[in-house]
Amino acid sequence: MSAPASILLVGLGGAGCSMVTRLAAQLPAEVGVALLDTDARSLPAGGGVTLQLGRAQTRGMGTGGEAALGQASAESEEAALRRLFTGVPLVVLVTGLGGGTGSGAATVVAGLAAETGATVLSFATMPFSHEGERRMRQANDATVKLAQKCHGLVVVHNDLLLQQVSPDAPLSESFAAADNWVGGALRGLAGAFAPGALIAVDPAALRSILSTPGSPTLFAFGVGQGEGAAMKAARAACDCPLAHAPGAVAKVASLFVYVAGGSAMTTTEAFEAVGAVRTRFGGETSTILCARIEPSLGDRIEVSVLGASLPAPKAVAKPKKGAKAVDPSQPIFEFATEESMRRGLFGGTPMTFIEGQDVDVPAYIRKAVRLPASP
Amino acid sequence: MTSKPLPSLIAVIDIGTHKTASLLGQIIDGKARMLSFSERRTDGVVKGTVTDLEKLTQCVHEVVNDIERGSGRAVEQIYLSLSGPAAEGERVKGFVAVPAHDGKVTAKDVSDAIASAKRLEPPEGRTTILYMRQPTMLDNRPVGNPVGMAGKRLEVTFWRVTMEEGNMRMRVGMVNGMSIRVRDFILASHAAACATASDADKQGGVLVIDMGAGTTDWILYYKEHILCAGSIPVGGEHLTNDLSVALRISRETAEDLKLRFGSAMHRENDVNQTIWKDGDKGVGDQQFNRGTITQVLSLRYQETIEFVRKDVIRRLEAIFPGHAVKLDQNMIPSGVILTGGSANLADAAEAVQQVTGLSARVGVPNFENESLRKPEYAGVVGLMTAAITDAPPPVRRPRGFLAQLKELFRL
Repeated sequence: MSAPASILLVGLGGAGCSMVTRLAAQLPAEVGVALLDTDARSLPAGGGVTLQLGRAQTRGMGTGGEAALGQASAESEEAALRRLFTGVPLVVLVTGLGGGTGSGAATVVAGLAAETGATVLSFATMPFSHEGERRMRQANDATVKLAQKCHGLVVVHNDLLLQQVSPDAPLSESFAAADNWVGGALRGLAGAFAPGALIAVDPAALRSILSTPGSPTLFAFGVGQGEGAAMKAARAACDCPLAHAPGAVAKVASLFVYVAGGSAMTTTEAFEAVGAVRTRFGGETSTILCARIEPSLGDRIEVSVLGASLPAPKAVAKPKKGAKAVDPSQPIFEFATEESMRRGLFGGTPMTFIEGQDVDVPAYIRKAVRLPASP
Repeated sequence: MTSKPLPSLIAVIDIGTHKTASLLGQIIDGKARMLSFSERRTDGVVKGTVTDLEKLTQCVHEVVNDIERGSGRAVEQIYLSLSGPAAEGERVKGFVAVPAHDGKVTAKDVSDAIASAKRLEPPEGRTTILYMRQPTMLDNRPVGNPVGMAGKRLEVTFWRVTMEEGNMRMRVGMVNGMSIRVRDFILASHAAACATASDADKQGGVLVIDMGAGTTDWILYYKEHILCAGSIPVGGEHLTNDLSVALRISRETAEDLKLRFGSAMHRENDVNQTIWKDGDKGVGDQQFNRGTITQVLSLRYQETIEFVRKDVIRRLEAIFPGHAVKLDQNMIPSGVILTGGSANLADAAEAVQQVTGLSARVGVPNFENESLRKPEYAGVVGLMTAAITDAPPPVRRPRGFLAQLKELFRL
């Protein structure tokens, strides 16, 4: 790499690397790519920066699902990781939680990136319900830890992905849906910082939105095409399952909205879309708007929304008798973890497993049934 | 088992995840006449597990106060229901070789066999709460009263319900705090069955499924006796939760839509129906696709019944090792009786029929007061019925708490 890219896309672990590899082709040149894994086989020769973690610990064999091993592997490469992140203003970390490398190393990698001064935004996929108890618990623990280290964390549920495609669609199609969301976000971010935007922003502005590590992060992405494309895209973003999982943030104080469209996109259209997004997601304190003409989009318009709210401090509850002592290092608000997002009213209660599935998660999510459209 | 007469006053309390109900009845000629009834929203129980003892205790006290005030009588002892995953059931067996030279079973043989069955210690840290008699086998044939019959090997089996010790003490303590003694525990599913299944049902074979808010308890009868019982930690609250997750609505709205538009069956036609939350189509009203509601609910409902079906088979296979167990109408001629609050979901019986392949009907408690003839009251009414019909264990004068507990749980 000659000059540090303005955005560094980091794939971590098997799932992260394969998603980043798939995405790399459709990304603008401003985005640098790095692949990190303990398993030497998922690091292709050539094509971006690769770094094999934990050569001493795993001998290139992967972690076998051990999060502790993943963590140790990342820690052993601290110097190399710091070098990788130096001078990069925005690091986007993509990883799959549940396995060893993702669950264990993500916290370390995100922490080091933040220490070098980068704004860190993480996309983490959660395992399918059918992958069983252990991976789900490991992933749950990892989201809580990771949220403390990143400026923004977007959790993508594999179960939700399955619902986005028809039941008889090939598996690759549901992964393509995930690529779509994360890819949309990256194109949005890259487009926003690249020179030539109609309304441009700089990474520092993004930093002002994602200022507090651990605060709930909102992310939504939508595409519209043809007549009224902007409103279609805005509505699609408002309906984006990522933003709608229960327990996810409903309204945020600060929003970053990126609208990209073909050369036919009008100012009115762009502002209509932003208005619709703001009605749904808030952004009262500040809304950073970024628009860009991408001739390659034709009559398509893409809307990406990223937001975070400074959490309202919870009233300090009177400690109950026998209540667990509060760890002072923990933030006083609750992060919208995988728990509360998928378990709804049961968020915070112990998981109940039957046949290896957490039965508090709605049946239709676990069975990946696509629900009829709302009227 | 005992000749001690029933008290003339029986109080029962059914602590559910959603509501706590208590009933006080006067016993006249072996039948209960309702003196007072009270129900309140339960606090401090999630998914059938106690999460806030203080709140729950207060709730129990309020309900008991209600029935005392309503009847003008003081409650001295009470029957408690036992449900959910905390109460684990298993089959225990005891047998004797019939020793007499003429090979006739004596009363002592029976009591020896019973003693040998009860000698089996419950797992570490658990206490036996109750024993429920299963058919007595003489030379592998089920018999009624074996005394005087000829045979070689006499076998008695019980369905033994155990509970984690701390949990049991907590429940007893909750009631003792009001200077009321726990007269006995009754298995909630057994109570529900007593209220809704006839003796003929139990004689032929019947599966009673009691789906409450937090748990789904089931019990299988064969030849009048309990064959096995179990509990699935999923209930009506899960139906509400799924709906609130899917439609992104509050628990209250989800509960309301579940009752008004929900169904345990999803039909093609539902997808074309648009329903309104409030119906006035005014500000704040929302419209939903009815198909979404029935799809979400039917998936959860049928999955839960499927869990029950698998649990029944698993337990039957444990009892009859080496046999491939199949649930069918031959084995369970009276089919399924569905009760508990979630039996009110539309098309519930049809869904159960589809999942289990057995005939199914919604069971309404058989009780003199019409206001309690609803599936959600099967538990509390059944406690009363079970307390009257089951021979209660003898309770002698209490000699302090521990001695009293021993009396209660050792039979």
